[in-house]
Amino acid sequence: QAPLFHLLVLSMVLETQALTPTHHLTTTDVARLQAVLSQPFTDLKSAYYSVVGLSKLGILVADADETCQFIKSNLDPSSVESLFYAAEASQALSGCEIPVSNDTRDLLLATVSEDSTASQIHQSVSALSSLGLPLASQEVVSALKARISKEDNVLTIILALQTASRLSQQAELGDILEEIEDLAARLDDLSGVYLQFEEGLETTALFVSAAYALSDHVDMEPPLKEDQVIQLVNSIFSKKSWDSLSEAFSVASAAESLSNNRFHVPVIVSAQGPAAISHSQPFLRLQVTDVLCQPLSSASVLVESASTSSSKSAILSQAPFTLRDEVFELNFMASQPASGYYQFSVAIAGDSRFVANHVELKVKVSTRVAINNMDLSVVDKDQSTGPKTTRVEYPTKAKAPFMADSHQNFAMAFQLVDETTGVELTPHQTFVRLHNQKTGQEVVFVAEPDSKNLYKFELDTTERKTEFDSISGTYALYLMMGDATLENPILWNVADVVLKFLDEEAPSTIQAKTLYTPKPEIQHLFREPEKKPPTVVSNAFTALVLSPFLLLLILWVKLGANISNFTLSPSTFLFHIGHAAMLGLMYVYWTHLNMFQTMKYLAIIGSLTFLAGNRMLAQKAVKRYTHKAGPQTKKLSKEPLAPISKNLFFLGATE
Amino acid sequence: MLLPFQRGPFRGRTSVSLTLISRFVEEYRSSTPNKLKVIDAYLLYILLTGVFQFLYCVLVGTFPFNSFLSGFIACVGSFILAVCLRIQINPQNKRDFLTVSPERAFADFLFAHTVLHLVVVNFVG
Repeated sequence: QAPLFHLLVLSMVLETQALTPTHHLTTTDVARLQAVLSQPFTDLKSAYYSVVGLSKLGILVADADETCQFIKSNLDPSSVESLFYAAEASQALSGCEIPVSNDTRDLLLATVSEDSTASQIHQSVSALSSLGLPLASQEVVSALKARISKEDNVLTIILALQTASRLSQQAELGDILEEIEDLAARLDDLSGVYLQFEEGLETTALFVSAAYALSDHVDMEPPLKEDQVIQLVNSIFSKKSWDSLSEAFSVASAAESLSNNRFHVPVIVSAQGPAAISHSQPFLRLQVTDVLCQPLSSASVLVESASTSSSKSAILSQAPFTLRDEVFELNFMASQPASGYYQFSVAIAGDSRFVANHVELKVKVSTRVAINNMDLSVVDKDQSTGPKTTRVEYPTKAKAPFMADSHQNFAMAFQLVDETTGVELTPHQTFVRLHNQKTGQEVVFVAEPDSKNLYKFELDTTERKTEFDSISGTYALYLMMGDATLENPILWNVADVVLKFLDEEAPSTIQAKTLYTPKPEIQHLFREPEKKPPTVVSNAFTALVLSPFLLLLILWVKLGANISNFTLSPSTFLFHIGHAAMLGLMYVYWTHLNMFQTMKYLAIIGSLTFLAGNRMLAQKAVKRYTHKAGPQTKKLSKEPLAPISKNLFFLGATE
Repeated sequence: MLLPFQRGPFRGRTSVSLTLISRFVEEYRSSTPNKLKVIDAYLLYILLTGVFQFLYCVLVGTFPFNSFLSGFIACVGSFILAVCLRIQINPQNKRDFLTVSPERAFADFLFAHTVLHLVVVNFVG
């Protein structure tokens, strides 16, 4: 169990490789940064950023006197911020003194209190320190601590760190120093590559410069791991053009602190040009710089191991680079590597502060290829006669064309070797191309090596006739060769081959593919309307259906139905008119209206009809009752017959 | 001699039905009031209309099916409503419809017909 656990831990350790910076400033980026900071300044704040920023990059301002005059004339002695900018800028310039009065000093000292913001405290302490005025460090520390406990945001703590780095070393800066670790925990890790504050690039850069400034001041290593430092480098230097002067200043300040502090110096290793070696260029050149692209001359660069990507057998081990003109170089070709890709593991030593000083590089070794023993032959299929082999030398072309018809095969054999070492090569692309000059048709085949790395190509005309579309004629034979590690890719017209195919059914011109021509139009078939019966039939049946109405009228007349009981009263008229209107509305509904309109009209007409009808029927009812009271003979005569008729009916049913 | 209510020794089924039908028709003619006969004529008319519509559908086809349905349902609905009216108006059924006067029955008949017409016209297309 224990050995397994150890193995697991070991494998995990081996798998984790140290991070190396993926983003860094190149010399052009540094030049751009310098250009941004060198812009002519408009006010004291931009003057501060420019002057101090350039001094961090190690560049002195051109006209120091003029700048000094500008600072002095734009200074506002009643503003702490203005004093801060002026004091810091004049400190960066040589021979620039800001006159200080007692009032100024009092103002600055008064700002150091719990009630001022962290920014104000920072500005006043920095101004006091730059102007060489005394200050009470302990008071500052207590003010800062009070400020941090009130405002817990990132920028306040960064300013506190920056302020603490200007205080005397005897002050108790332990609590403030601990804030670095807390702040580092608040950084966001983006996919293991970047580490930054959510407030942005400027805050992250300011954090780096403040943390290292304070750590240097108290001479205690900041609690940042190597990987974290590299991630911070990636975040800060991933942006190559800066939005504002303050952003550029923060990047310059971070770059300066990362190249000059006492604890961590990230190392940037980059190959000069492509990492490719060949006989014409036998040296592998590496540039080893700090984040500001300044070469680290004190470093010693060593190849720990160099092995091929595939076999992992080491070609080199512990080979040192030599420093020449600030570039480290190594003659790799001296070890006579075969062409291909190599994995280099490079270590940079010389200073214990170096971070990310183990780098993995992929180096390509290219070579030139030579074609040997190119033999072209035409072989009879039944092998009745021996093959006729012709040898062709690169880059010449065979004099006579080769003939091959259905009884013969055309064969080609050759060897590819490294020009200098004579080692056999197998490039990625070895193609044989046959090009028909008349029709423009071309067919490409792949030539493959056998077990002895000898390339062979055979063309059987009957077998391959579909590729050629059975077009006979003269084909130019080309050999195409290429590979990433070849310096001289080859396109060689080796010979002309005359092919004869049996069935000459080939079309004279090659049809272009009709893939993108317009397709035939689709005609949409509308739904056929249903077949209607002939009009005669419909009309006949309409008459038939309407005929019972006639019958009804006849029956009614026969029965003696009449309207003699029609009472002439307004409600009667209204009722009948309303009723007729409702029926008329039904017809209009059928032809013109929709349900909603009909309901609307029906409501109006219907209510009128209802009221009128109600009235009319009530009158009729009254009339019936009064009539009933009078003659009763009609009714009585009917009554006795009713039960008899019922009995008869039942009798009939039972029989 | 055979009296009117005595059974004879041997009568076929058809002759019995014929006697039955003629008796029924006779009773109908004499005892039903005129009002009811008027309604019965109307019922016959509705019936024939429905039958003829159905006949068309059977013979020719159901082409505008919604029209056929609407017409047929109009006939059926009218028939039913008229039957209801007849039942309610019949003086012999007075005991069953104490609260419904003939006028009320007629008013109901008209209202129901309005609704039926609305539906039929909506559906006829």
